[in-house]
Amino acid sequence: MRRRVLLNVGVPILSLVLVLVVWQLIVVGFHVASYIAPRPREAITSVTSQWSTLWPLILGTIRETIYGYVIGAALGFVLGVVMAKIAIVQRLVYPVILVSQAVPVIALAPVLVIILGFGIVPKIVIVTWIVFFPVTVNVLDGLGHVDPDLKNLARVYGASRWRTFVQIEVPASTTPLFSGLKIGAIYAVTGAIIGELAASEGNSLALYQEHANSNLNTAAVYGTTMVMTLIGIAWFLLVVGLEIWSTPWQRRTVARRRWRRGSDGGAG
Amino acid sequence: MPTTLLELRGVGKVFGGTVALSATSLAIEEGSFVAIVGPSGCGKSTMFNIIAGLVAPDGGDVVLRGATITATTGHVGYMLQKDLLVPWRTVEDNITMATRLTRRVTDEDRAEARRVARQYGLGEFLRHYPSALSGGMRQRVAFMRTLVTHHELLLLDEPFGALDAQTRLEMQEWLLQVWKDTGRTVLFITHDVDESIFLSDRIVVMSPRPGRVVADLANPLARPRGIHTLLEPDFIALKAKVLGLLHGGAA
Repeated sequence: MRRRVLLNVGVPILSLVLVLVVWQLIVVGFHVASYIAPRPREAITSVTSQWSTLWPLILGTIRETIYGYVIGAALGFVLGVVMAKIAIVQRLVYPVILVSQAVPVIALAPVLVIILGFGIVPKIVIVTWIVFFPVTVNVLDGLGHVDPDLKNLARVYGASRWRTFVQIEVPASTTPLFSGLKIGAIYAVTGAIIGELAASEGNSLALYQEHANSNLNTAAVYGTTMVMTLIGIAWFLLVVGLEIWSTPWQRRTVARRRWRRGSDGGAG
Repeated sequence: MPTTLLELRGVGKVFGGTVALSATSLAIEEGSFVAIVGPSGCGKSTMFNIIAGLVAPDGGDVVLRGATITATTGHVGYMLQKDLLVPWRTVEDNITMATRLTRRVTDEDRAEARRVARQYGLGEFLRHYPSALSGGMRQRVAFMRTLVTHHELLLLDEPFGALDAQTRLEMQEWLLQVWKDTGRTVLFITHDVDESIFLSDRIVVMSPRPGRVVADLANPLARPRGIHTLLEPDFIALKAKVLGLLHGGAA
């Protein structure tokens, strides 16, 4: 157990530390000027020293990410289900959602500002726009690959379509569903930042970085980028945690007590 | 006069010009163990799917205890070579899975699942996920799932086909025990002649192109049966007869 935690948590952290070390070595070794690339410590300090200014902006970005992600994931799931179940909807909708993803989001942002104005809504729309697609595609794929024998078995037992869907098809699709959710999680913050760049009049993390850039405060540019990255990684890890929590059978051989409602027996 | 549980009245099925099953009539007695043996393509799985209601026959009727159930599901227990256990449910919850697919699972359902599992040697694995079980144990769970549906008729389609010979023999003896305890009626598909003789009261021999029943043999072997049964002269004689039917009089 201890060894597994070390492998699953320790090694990834070590690899991130290595990135910082390489960064440091390049900057120092090649005598890179600090207005081109700061040292890691300078980038980090630029964040910690401005924390009281940055924190509300970070919260704003997180809020946009969460709203957009939850709406996008829910929309993506529903769309995937409807497309999987109704062939004509799939034929009608698939080209449209493909086109929607071929549109560069950067180009889309000004259009959204024209329609939706500034404020949080256009940012949420962009995040939703980015997140729903991998969820839809993976749900569609997952539902299409449920073992037909298993569905037949449900039919033999007289199961309704709804119960077959809830009891068989959805749980059988959890792996592809979470693949979609994880891809969406990583891109969600990117969407929020694009939205902030195009549609912020007041303060936002993206505008803070732009100001830092025009002031030649390279350390803050790097520092803000690190913050944005960390938000994305934190969100991704949260989704991974949700997957681990909701799919205990993929790691365990014996169920925990709370998974067996009303049971009293089994020496296990 | 024993009661007829299931009756096929001239059911047949053509798939794209191929006769999968020519019009077949068959009566299955309550409480009996009937083996259906034949090579692939003889229509035995088509017959099962018609009885289960998955496939609508081109003609004829399926009658269960006097009621016509043609092309309707929810009347029989059904088990395949693939155990079809769901990996996200424990052994206990897999046993109650058929119930869960039609209504809310009650405490009584769970209690029954545990009782059956304990009685037939899986009591220690109730909380395990299927991934932790061996092939033979998984098939036992699949059979218990079939059993707790309380259908009188159990359709077993080569349930032990994927198991190694040793495990298969254990499972056959186990199945006979459960069958004796529960008094259900079993229709058992296999392509293994030894298995069909070892288990059954009666052997229906089928042949392909077109899929049809070619013989319906009574099995005189005494019960209870064990490894010794496999060496009895009656066993050998019956085996020669079935093999002869399957391979065009070679015996």
